[in-house]
Amino acid sequence: MSLPRTVWNTVKSLVVGHAVTAREIATRPITVFYPEEKPEFPTGSRSVPVLKVNEESGYINCTSCGLCERTCPPGCIEITQAVDPATNKKKPWPHLYTLDLSHCMVCNLCVEACPFDALEMLDVPELATYQVQDLKFHKEQLLDLWKTGKAIRIAEGQPMPSK
Amino acid sequence: MASTSTTAGEQAPGLQSQLMTLNLGPQHPSTHGVLRVVVTLDGEEVVEAQPDIGYLHRNFEKIVEGWALPGVVPFSDRNDYLAAIANEVCVCDAIETLGEVELPDRAKWLRVLFAELQRIISHELWYGAFGMDLGAFTPFLYGFRDRETGYLLMEKATGARMLYAYNRIGGLRNDVTDAWLKELEGYLDFMEKQAFPEYMKLLIENEIFVMRTKGTGQLTREQAIAWGASGPVLRSTGLPWDLRKKRPYLVYDQLEFDVPTGTNGDNYDRAMVRMLEIKESIKIIRQVLRRLPDGPVLAKARAAVRPRVGEYYARQESPRGEVGVHLVSNGRPNAYRLKWRAPTFSHLQLVPLMCRGVKMADMIANLGSLDIVMGEVDR
Repeated sequence: MSLPRTVWNTVKSLVVGHAVTAREIATRPITVFYPEEKPEFPTGSRSVPVLKVNEESGYINCTSCGLCERTCPPGCIEITQAVDPATNKKKPWPHLYTLDLSHCMVCNLCVEACPFDALEMLDVPELATYQVQDLKFHKEQLLDLWKTGKAIRIAEGQPMPSK
Repeated sequence: MASTSTTAGEQAPGLQSQLMTLNLGPQHPSTHGVLRVVVTLDGEEVVEAQPDIGYLHRNFEKIVEGWALPGVVPFSDRNDYLAAIANEVCVCDAIETLGEVELPDRAKWLRVLFAELQRIISHELWYGAFGMDLGAFTPFLYGFRDRETGYLLMEKATGARMLYAYNRIGGLRNDVTDAWLKELEGYLDFMEKQAFPEYMKLLIENEIFVMRTKGTGQLTREQAIAWGASGPVLRSTGLPWDLRKKRPYLVYDQLEFDVPTGTNGDNYDRAMVRMLEIKESIKIIRQVLRRLPDGPVLAKARAAVRPRVGEYYARQESPRGEVGVHLVSNGRPNAYRLKWRAPTFSHLQLVPLMCRGVKMADMIANLGSLDIVMGEVDR
């Protein structure tokens, strides 16, 4: 290609390119300055599986059957079944229920595996911590998280996500 | 940055230059992830470029041998993290064939829809990154603007931005809503009417871009076949090899679309093929939206997946090429062996061939036009 033609084409494509970007002057910026202003998080995104409280009985639904523990691919759930100290018999609820969120893939398989509807996938964003140990959630913390997640949803007037 | 010195032979005495060894990466932003390329430079010219892989190795294939098969699907997202649906659909195909699970109709169509939406998003990212490789910053912002909209759509439907864990053995986790399908249609309209012409004007039709990319990084058809290239890299050499056409899976045989091909196999053709693929994907999604059947999205007997004894090689067309899963099963709930064929692993082997004797800046362009994802290369 001859030089004048190349120069002409280059100038032309520069003008065309700038015409595209010039239109953006009139539009509003889409950047959200995240920690200061909060973007709108889509509902229903998965962030952490938590134990939930049965609204009627006021107890957790978990019977410590261990299905979620076995289903979890990276093995981040750990359950210790409760034992009655007097009779030494096993009780149908977890004594300890630990979820290591640092290993969790947030794949929802545990929630789907639970036959007792004891787990729920929350969509609470911002669970980052400075220490990796802080991502190891115990039973009480998981219940607290569930309550927080529920409080957020009620405040925003959103329906609870179905299983 | 280490440097060794050897004298180049073919120079006039007194004008000898020293070869310099330069480590490009592993954290260099223009190498698309943690790729290290050991480049031997003679001035600005690349004498030899040797990619060094393994910085993102996660032991995928060995780990999944110990996992029950349903868990492999979310883990496979981490391979090609820019086109996670393509991985999921492929590994699900392998498991479903060996496990003899019948897919519901709606799940088949929705898988096609998500795979094509993923292709659009993946090519948008490639468009932005390739512009950056060539030194144009503006296209990057446009590509990422639309990619973000696409990811939001994905998040609304699947519950995650990049690593969806959306496919299950025997279908999909949840159905999509009609409102979401409407939103998707709006996104397609936006892509077709506004974003795509902008992409073309900003970068692809730009004279500087054309001059930088035409004739560089050229591959012949024989070379591409011999090195195991697939996807846009192979199609840019003129061979219309697309598994969606040649080995139709899911419902691709009922859909009408063209396979864009190039002629020269250079960087420009690869770019052009990818841009035209965005258009074809839009076309496919529109057909899926028109013909999407009703019904369940998840087959019933999915809890007990016990594949039969045997092996199966599932291959599908991901945005980057042929992604393949060779699943060997001995009848247990976990895989006996799972081999992952990553298209970009083959493409990365082309780097020494393509980069011999080119300028340093062109080498970055060559790397960018291959669209390498290190998560998939290292697995």
